[in-house]
Amino acid sequence: MGIEQPTLWGAAQVGPRILRVSDLNRRVRTLLDADTALTDVWVEGEVSSPSFPASGHCFFTLKDASSQLRAVIFREELARLAIRPTHGAAVICHGRVRAYEPQGTYQLYVNELTPAGAGDLHAQYEALRLRLAAEGLFDDARKRSLPRWPRRVGVVTSPVGAVWRDIGNVLRRRYPLIELVLSPSVVQGPTAAPAIVRALRRLYADASLDLIILARGGGSLEDLWCFNDEAVVRCLVQAPMPVVVGVGHESDVTLADFAADLRAPTPSAAAELAVPDGTQLPAILGRLRDRASAALLGRVAERRRHLESERRALAGLAPNLDTARQRAAELVDRGDRALRASIERRRLTVDALRDGLRALGPAATLERGYAVARLGDGRIVRSPDEVPIGSALEVVVARGRLETRVESASAERAEDLLR
Amino acid sequence: MSEPATDEELATRPFDELVGELQRIVQALEAGSLGLEESIGLYKEGLRLHAACEERLRAAELTITELGRRGVPGAEPTGQPDG
Repeated sequence: MGIEQPTLWGAAQVGPRILRVSDLNRRVRTLLDADTALTDVWVEGEVSSPSFPASGHCFFTLKDASSQLRAVIFREELARLAIRPTHGAAVICHGRVRAYEPQGTYQLYVNELTPAGAGDLHAQYEALRLRLAAEGLFDDARKRSLPRWPRRVGVVTSPVGAVWRDIGNVLRRRYPLIELVLSPSVVQGPTAAPAIVRALRRLYADASLDLIILARGGGSLEDLWCFNDEAVVRCLVQAPMPVVVGVGHESDVTLADFAADLRAPTPSAAAELAVPDGTQLPAILGRLRDRASAALLGRVAERRRHLESERRALAGLAPNLDTARQRAAELVDRGDRALRASIERRRLTVDALRDGLRALGPAATLERGYAVARLGDGRIVRSPDEVPIGSALEVVVARGRLETRVESASAERAEDLLR
Repeated sequence: MSEPATDEELATRPFDELVGELQRIVQALEAGSLGLEESIGLYKEGLRLHAACEERLRAAELTITELGRRGVPGAEPTGQPDG
């Protein structure tokens, strides 16, 4: 080595630069980490000699006819993956390539593993899913809730076969009050996707439909592929009414499922989710009727109580007849007494007047000892010359009369005689 | 509350409308702000609605319409597997 030669590392140095092993491995690791093509990579190959040590991780070699690649799947990823690597299996792995400094090797850190047969489809699926998701087509905010009481339900599925029959049976049993509108479609094969789009659009044209069910029975990934078709997904997203998608089995998740307002695990489940549980309806109706009865009885009872309280209030306000009667009796008594007293007073007055009159009358005068002298013709004598000597004279005293005869007479003053 | 409907009208109205009407009647009765005569009238109406609903449930049969297959190449059943 000559002096001042540029080295591999770009810095002019005197003599060869001696690196430690760890420095070099770190340098390599940094290079690999910087290559974005290696941090998100799909690679296809055949699994060789997988090992499952106690750590729970899985180590294996991925190889093809001319080359090999070390690969590792960490325990957490392994638990999540649908399949485990088996010797000789053709697979497609997804992961990142990193250097493993302690051993100076590089390897693929795997986080996805699918059989190679499905690999292309899966990659397409994943790419389309990401693209459509980025557009927001699968956003939860787009999902509409289903009508509680649908009246007309559209169905896109194959008119032959178990699915259509099952949907009919579920609805017949669960909620037969709807009208089911079948828009038939092929649901498998190369013509399926455009056929599904057409079938959906026919239903979209019917504004009286409350919701749509898109359904298909179970099948292979290829069988279900039309439900991952972009045109189908975009058509579903445009649905004017909510769509329930039930495709395949529980574990089959298609892009149509993501686009649906509601994803059902199976076609039958889609039918069940689409309508209320009609078997509960008689009980619900019965409760409503009972509530109406209870409410009405409550109203009547309340009215009765109200009436009763009004009656009591009225009774409280009524005049007390006993008191009035008593008071009236007292008044009568008082009047009676007053009347009697009044009469008595008048009687006394009358008596006094009568006595007065009597006192002034002749009888009283006679009673005091006076006498009245009358001639035979009744004339009262006031003077002696009115009576000849020897004539008869009647003297009236208080308690009788005396028949007398005049023997003598003299004219004198009465005051003098009665002194 | 709407006018009491005739039986014929009840028979033609959608089931969910009948149930909704029944629910409104129950709520009105439970609210207790109505006069007694009105309450009784509503209750009778509720019973009729209930009977109409029951009858509808009893007689319900799934109605199925199939859109025409003409011009729908995908609808031919040939070679169609189950589902």
